[in-house]
Amino acid sequence: MSGPGVGWYLIVAALLFGTGALGVMLRRSPLIVLLSLEIMLNAANLTLIAFARQHGSLDGQVFALVVMGVAAAEVAIGLGLIVAMARRRLPLDVDQASALRG
Amino acid sequence: MLTTSLILLPVVGALLVAVLPLPRLTTAGLAFLVALLEVALWIVAAGRFDFDDPALQLGTSREWVESLGISYTVGFYGFSLWLAGATVIVCAAAIGYALWVGRDRPRAYHALMLLLTGAVVATFAAQDLLLFYVAFEAMLIPLYVLVGVWGGARRIAATLTFVVYTMAGSLLMLASVVAYGVTQGTFSLQEPGTSANTWIFLGFAIAFAVKAPLFPLHGWLPLAYREAPVEVAAVLSAIVSKTAVYGFLVIVLPRFPEPVDDFTGLILALSAAGLVYGSLLAFRAPDLRGIVAYSSLAQMGLITLGLFALNDLGLSGAVLQSVAHALVSTTMFLLVGMVERRCGTGDLDALGGMARGRPILATVLLTAGMIALAVPGSVTFAGEFLIMTGVYAEGWGYSVVVALAIVLAAMYTLRLISAVLHVRPGPAVRDEALDLRPVELGLLLPLVACLIALSVWPALVSESAFWRGTPAAIVEEEP
Amino acid sequence: MTYGAWICLLSPLAGALAITLAGERISRRAAGWISTLTTFAAFGGALVAFGALWARDHGDRQELSTAYTWLSVGDFEVGMEILVDPLASVMMLVVSGVGGLIVWYSMGYMAGDDEERRFFAYMSLFVFSMLLLVQAGNFLLLLAGWGLVGLASYLLIGFWHHRAEAVAAAKKAFVMNAIGDATFMLAAVLLVWETGTLEYLGVFEEVGGLSDTTVTLVALGLLGGAVAKSAQVPLHTWLPDAMEGPTPVSALIHAATMVTAGVYLLVRAHPIFEAAVEVQQLAAILGAVTLLVAGVIALVQWDIKRVIAYSTMSQIGYMFLGAGIGAYGFAIFHLLTHAFFKALLFLAAGVVIHHLADEQDIRRMGGLKDELPRTHVAFLIGTLALVGIPPFAGFWSKDAILAATVESGGALGWTLFLAGLAGTVLTGAYAFRLYFAVFHGPRGEAAAAHAGHGEGPRSMLVPVGALAGLSVVGGLVSIPGVWHPFTSWVDETGEPLVEPVASLEYLVSAIAVALGLVGVWLARRAFLADRQLVTSPEAWRVLEHKLYFDELYDALFYRPAEAISAGLLHNVEEPVVERSLDEIGSGTIQAGGGVARLQSGLLRSYAVAVAVAVVVLVVVFVAVR
Repeated sequence: MSGPGVGWYLIVAALLFGTGALGVMLRRSPLIVLLSLEIMLNAANLTLIAFARQHGSLDGQVFALVVMGVAAAEVAIGLGLIVAMARRRLPLDVDQASALRG
Repeated sequence: MLTTSLILLPVVGALLVAVLPLPRLTTAGLAFLVALLEVALWIVAAGRFDFDDPALQLGTSREWVESLGISYTVGFYGFSLWLAGATVIVCAAAIGYALWVGRDRPRAYHALMLLLTGAVVATFAAQDLLLFYVAFEAMLIPLYVLVGVWGGARRIAATLTFVVYTMAGSLLMLASVVAYGVTQGTFSLQEPGTSANTWIFLGFAIAFAVKAPLFPLHGWLPLAYREAPVEVAAVLSAIVSKTAVYGFLVIVLPRFPEPVDDFTGLILALSAAGLVYGSLLAFRAPDLRGIVAYSSLAQMGLITLGLFALNDLGLSGAVLQSVAHALVSTTMFLLVGMVERRCGTGDLDALGGMARGRPILATVLLTAGMIALAVPGSVTFAGEFLIMTGVYAEGWGYSVVVALAIVLAAMYTLRLISAVLHVRPGPAVRDEALDLRPVELGLLLPLVACLIALSVWPALVSESAFWRGTPAAIVEEEP
Repeated sequence: MTYGAWICLLSPLAGALAITLAGERISRRAAGWISTLTTFAAFGGALVAFGALWARDHGDRQELSTAYTWLSVGDFEVGMEILVDPLASVMMLVVSGVGGLIVWYSMGYMAGDDEERRFFAYMSLFVFSMLLLVQAGNFLLLLAGWGLVGLASYLLIGFWHHRAEAVAAAKKAFVMNAIGDATFMLAAVLLVWETGTLEYLGVFEEVGGLSDTTVTLVALGLLGGAVAKSAQVPLHTWLPDAMEGPTPVSALIHAATMVTAGVYLLVRAHPIFEAAVEVQQLAAILGAVTLLVAGVIALVQWDIKRVIAYSTMSQIGYMFLGAGIGAYGFAIFHLLTHAFFKALLFLAAGVVIHHLADEQDIRRMGGLKDELPRTHVAFLIGTLALVGIPPFAGFWSKDAILAATVESGGALGWTLFLAGLAGTVLTGAYAFRLYFAVFHGPRGEAAAAHAGHGEGPRSMLVPVGALAGLSVVGGLVSIPGVWHPFTSWVDETGEPLVEPVASLEYLVSAIAVALGLVGVWLARRAFLADRQLVTSPEAWRVLEHKLYFDELYDALFYRPAEAISAGLLHNVEEPVVERSLDEIGSGTIQAGGGVARLQSGLLRSYAVAVAVAVVVLVVVFVAVR
């Protein structure tokens, strides 16, 4: 096996995940939140692929592919929702979309 | 095979009734026919049953979920055969009554009634805990629907209360079933083994106490018995309550000897309290159904006293009393229904004077009422005497409570009889209100005939409920 | 022998079933005949059994016949069995014989009632139950008969069920008897545990080995049953009210047979009572109290049947007294003669009531001597027998009991004797007050108002005549110093504890007859002066309220029971049991409201929560590892 050790991949993945998590927690625009979610998912994908390479098994890569597929579907729905919100001239601010408050 | 047929016949009948596109009357008639066939099948089963043999009889056993030790094992002991017998007779009478009064949406109604019959028979036959649980729950679903759809004005409240109570009990029981099965490695009730775990015991005991119901877990009873269609109330009080007796007999008493020992005092005290409490409330109830409902509460207290006497006399008495009460309670509820149909109300104040010109109604009500109040010489008297004698071993006070309850039973039953039959006609009793019709008499007569036959020879049940001479063996304790 | 007894037992049952099942397919008259003939068939069966028993050797006169096992659990068995012995045979003859006469009489009395068939079915049911009671071979079957006669009594008291008083009286009778049944059952429970059997002979063998407490409790339980059934103080208040039933019912059930069942029980279970001396004495004391209480209350009653009812209570008091001091033969002897003359009195009173179109108030009667000459004679015979004037039946039996009290001696014996003597004065007074009021003096309003039925059909007169004859000669079966076949016959079942000598009996008789005549003289004097026997208005009021027993029980038992029931309904059932579910429901809703606050609706705060939770979980897992 060549290239950097699995640890480096994990560090990158952790950084990516942290970035994404902070984005979800701090930003109010639904578009950015969705973007950050994607970053978190990709962090997970990176981990999966890194470990797959380390174990020499394809399982992790298959998983990553599935995750990408799911992420694509999710983005399609999420973007659809955001477009719908925009069309109805609703504020594009997740803090104001709190209709589910108990 | 016979046991399986007894379970499957009503279920298949239910499917047929639900599916076949028959006219109203034919649908109900088909259901009644199936119920009668079920009775005939039970008679065949009783004929094949060897009452001297202590082993499980007419049984079938198939692996179900092998890895978990779950099997489909069914069969009868003496007592469960008698309970199943009461079930098929009561259900036939109830279905016949529904046919007579012409319940709405007969296809659904009768399918549910037959399903209920099958489920109760399955409960009495089940020899595997999980199977028992399934049958126990399967019994509730038709009941919920029957009360909730065909009930009286407050049927939704009645159903909701009933569902909440029984669900709570059932979930506790499910937890106990799983815990018991996993710790024992098998769910079969044919395998020996006991548990000393108080929590598992309590799960079962509370579930059965709700179902019976025992004081003070009877919150669902008044509403359910008042709002359900009478024949459903009859089935509910007559046999659904007896599944609790069966549960105590095959699960609680033999499987949990130590917790039973610890809790006997408490259960006896609650049963005795329920006996007096139910009797007193029956004495005050303003309507016919209230009296019958609370008297059922009292009777279940009495039966539980017999069960937890933990000796030959008490246990046999409890089984005898269960069978007798099933028949009495059905007769009384159906009579109440017939009176309500004629007068449009069950309020005691609005009734009266119905004996005049209605000799058949008067005779049947008097006969059933006298057996209900356990007039000496009747089967209920025999049962009460056995229970009273049995429970004496646990303390003379319980026997005195039973004696007191006998006086109270006389008071509330005579109150019911007089309120319906005697003195001048109440405002709701019209002159043209008919005597019992031949069909109604035809439904009641077999029940009353069974009661009188058992009064002439109560030993038929008391002697064969348990293998001769050693009923107390199921609690592994000498009398 | 036993087949005669079985026929005796079952033929009235067959009659009751036949009448019930036939319904309106047979005429009312046919129903009456079925009932009468089956009862006489029972009498025939009883005669056969009696004859066979008579033919046997002394000491061998006892046979148990078991048809099948009625109830059994393990070793505990109760058979459907009858015991034929001298006591049972006497009771069978009395019940079926007197019963047959009274049922026959009913055919005339009830003619025209619109539910005659029901009446005769009930009468047959009663005769069957009573025969079951006296023939039963064990305590449980005795109890079954005991309860069934109570049932028949309930049905017959409430026969005219459109009358509120009749229904109330029927219920009262049943409930008071249920109290007795309950104590009886408790006694039986004790017997099962202590002796392992309920068969008379088995139990009596074991009695010696029982502890004093046990025997006392058993005896008390049985006494409770006997007191309730025989309307003795303190469970006596149902009997006067029971007069709401048709008169033949009063004659059969509430005079001749059922109410004397308590006496039968005292004699039947005498080994138990002998082992519990205090309880046996208590029975005698209760009898004495009852005979006085009933005697004084009878002085002020206006209803012809109620006067006779109180006199019944009083006479049964004598029987209890006799059985309580161990004079079993005399107690049963008095039971026999009382069945004759009391049934006669009731039936004669029935003729009067029938004649006056259901009038029962003696203030509206009078001067019936000429209108009803034969009834007058019959009633007079009954009254003389009741007061105990020789040679009528009551004289022989009542005075024998009084002599036995003297013989038994001691403070108790003498007190009982004095009570019995006081009772004879009262008996003379109230009996002749009634007799004078009904048959003498000016013609009463009721007689003037109704044309009257006369003395009724033959079916009414023949039984009255037969009973009158028996009331005259019935006492001759036991004459002190001459012969006493009757008492020695009964003594085979219950060896008496006291046997007065003939001279004592005659001495006591002289005193008792003299006192009885004093009573008669008092009644005559009051009648001639046109005033009542009780002149003090205060005393009158107390007696009219029957010494306030009803009011007392109402306040002590009925009202508290009702209050407790209502209290439970309003304070436990409705608020606690029924509403508990509502409480659980609203509690759940409130809790939900509290938890709902966590649900802010802010997406970002959810994200933070998820993140924090993940961190916490990771830390926990790592730390636990």
